[in-house]
Amino acid sequence: MKAKQGKFFFGGVHPHDMKQLAKAAAIERMPAPETVAVSTLQSLGKPATPVVEVGQEVVEGEVIARGDGPISSDVFASVCGVVTEIKDMPGASGADEKFIFIKNNGKKDKRYLPPLDQPSGEEIRGRIKDAGIVGLGGAGFPAAVKVAPKTPVDTLILNGAECEPYLTCDYRLMLEKSDEIARGARLAAKALGVENIIIGIEANKPDAIEIFEKYDDIQVVILKKQYPMGGEKQLIYVATGRKVKLGKLPADSGVVVMNVATCYAVCEAVELGKPLYERALTVSGKAVKTPKNVWVKNGTKIADIVNFCGGEIHRPTKVIQGGPMTGTALADYEGYTHKTTSGILLMTEDEAANSQPTPCISCGKCADVCPMKLMPVDTAFYAAAGDYESAAKYGGALACIECGACEYICPAKRPLIQSIRKTKAELRKKK
Amino acid sequence: MIDNTVVVSTPPHVKSARTTRSIMLDVIIALLPCAVMGIVFFGWRAVMLELVTVASCVATEFVYFFIANKGFGSKCKNAGKVCLKWVKQFDCTSIVTGLILALILPSYVHWYEALIGAIFAIAIVKMFFGGTGKNLVNPAAAARVFMLLSFGATMVKYVAPSIDPVQLESELYTGATNLAGLLPNAVPGAGYHAAAPVSFLTSLDLFLGTGVAGCIGETSAAAILVGYIYLCARKVIKWWQPLLMLAVLGFAQVLFTGIRYGEYDMAFFLPSVLSGGAAFGAVFMFTDYVTSPKGVWGQLVYYVAGALLIAALRVLTMVEVVSYVILIMNLLVPLIDKFIRRRPFGYVKPEKGGKTK
Repeated sequence: MKAKQGKFFFGGVHPHDMKQLAKAAAIERMPAPETVAVSTLQSLGKPATPVVEVGQEVVEGEVIARGDGPISSDVFASVCGVVTEIKDMPGASGADEKFIFIKNNGKKDKRYLPPLDQPSGEEIRGRIKDAGIVGLGGAGFPAAVKVAPKTPVDTLILNGAECEPYLTCDYRLMLEKSDEIARGARLAAKALGVENIIIGIEANKPDAIEIFEKYDDIQVVILKKQYPMGGEKQLIYVATGRKVKLGKLPADSGVVVMNVATCYAVCEAVELGKPLYERALTVSGKAVKTPKNVWVKNGTKIADIVNFCGGEIHRPTKVIQGGPMTGTALADYEGYTHKTTSGILLMTEDEAANSQPTPCISCGKCADVCPMKLMPVDTAFYAAAGDYESAAKYGGALACIECGACEYICPAKRPLIQSIRKTKAELRKKK
Repeated sequence: MIDNTVVVSTPPHVKSARTTRSIMLDVIIALLPCAVMGIVFFGWRAVMLELVTVASCVATEFVYFFIANKGFGSKCKNAGKVCLKWVKQFDCTSIVTGLILALILPSYVHWYEALIGAIFAIAIVKMFFGGTGKNLVNPAAAARVFMLLSFGATMVKYVAPSIDPVQLESELYTGATNLAGLLPNAVPGAGYHAAAPVSFLTSLDLFLGTGVAGCIGETSAAAILVGYIYLCARKVIKWWQPLLMLAVLGFAQVLFTGIRYGEYDMAFFLPSVLSGGAAFGAVFMFTDYVTSPKGVWGQLVYYVAGALLIAALRVLTMVEVVSYVILIMNLLVPLIDKFIRRRPFGYVKPEKGGKTK
């Protein structure tokens, strides 16, 4: 279908996208590592409970931990091997997570679920749950919850914005696996009972736009280059003109948003029966020898991924898991990937921001770029004084999507996101 | 393979290249046309005043910083370190204050008066309140009002550029803005009464600043326009802010003068915008980040209210009131920021009597 132009949303920033580093690299499969450490916390909500024991032999694709909460998902073995250890370790966020260590024994067995032929909506929803699919855009919201909304929906939006600088794995996936993404989207639409499928792709990916124009049942919306275009609420607004009300879910506005990588996972889960235990991610930055897009097994050590890409050529100033606007800075390469890890970035001194904050000059630029129309400057002001109620009242911290646009633009380099997170945490504590 | 050189911090990990210092440098560049035109019109006195105010502002800030950071402590052992620290944190705001202060002074002001004004601006208005970003009012405007009250004689001696200020003291024009006595019909409200006003100066003169008596940087609207365009191009200020303010000012002037004198004449529009400190204030002083509202709606109120107040006070008092209005509006900013709040994206009106959000 002919592509449509999307609108602008309020605010936003234009960081250099730096996608040229890894844009041309086709997604490469990384050989299975010696050892993987799979976290039981792979989605929002409760961590899954391990169902294997130390010494037990597991097969690639086998369930090793069950998600038992309403917002929780199953975790699978990503290699064949023996469980060597189950222990608590700090994850990327710094909080402890339970990791299941599996030593690879080199076997090539796979344990998939039975493929489904002409499945019903009910069957697709069950399969999405059984395959442990979570939103691969970053937040890791279980897809099974998403495709079973409590309010009627009429539109499925595929998120192909990939507005984070550096990251190109979704872009490569759209080029290389467009048919699978389209089929996955149709399956998800069937599970939801909707006919209307929209895919939003940022204007800096014209080849991906062209590819998706050839599907008759998918409407392409060309998104303006504006960060955070891939933010759920922003994407819904520019693609459909609907505003998601504060404190409500997108489904309340009749829309469900899914990342293109999630759609690909849905397609594989239904057609092949493959659970979600590997994903494409981008390794980039000027400090890594060859920036690549890589298929990585869940729980691969970051050091192994960096080595697979030729290692460092410069000393990185920052090592980031995820994108540079919202990702987590790592202290070393000792961490392990999750289902939601979309990138590993090794940034040199001239790429990474590392400046000392100077006094706020109340320029209001943070408010001008805020896509949620909040007042980060006021949040920071009241949070610094310890008055978190006022920080939420005047700054609107609770509605913040933590896209980082305010802190990106801040000429005084104030730690705005930190004060917003602090406000949220303090208010949560009080409840 | 990894050592402690890797920085761990909260996102975002990329940031714009803009810093406070680069913004202030842009403001300085934007002020240069006014400074140069001031020199062209007012000669060596303008050069002298600009140098004195800038140097004394920077020096005052340095001395304050030096004392506050205990540069004199333990027999000046830390002096070098404190100096380095000062250079590192220097954000050019004191240069901006100094330059603006010079540009809103009449050229007749003595150098020591300018020096005292500059010290007042930096030490008392800015540093005592916490330095950059913490001052309640615009330091330059506050210093100007302080000087008006302290050195009343020289602060109102507006000199037309062609007149040698020292020899022809009797010909100095004192009064409401530069133009009160000289240009009855050009000064909006102030002095206007005559049925057949005589004008030496056209709006074009006011625009270019040729032959206009007034403050060093305020007379040439053309130079201010160049600075305005530069500030907009560099996105330091929003293009609509000064325009909105001056448009409201012009119409309000026509209206208020009409109410007072019974004659509505659009001929007041341009002179009211171009004369006095209005244009300079709207571009360089009302737009000061620290002392203007942070939200767009608050800014709207701030500029409109400022313009109305200038127009009203001009008609009522017949003195040049821009600096006073700047101070008044600056003091209202915390209230504006507090009461004019924006609605977040997807805002829902709280139900009456029900819970909010």
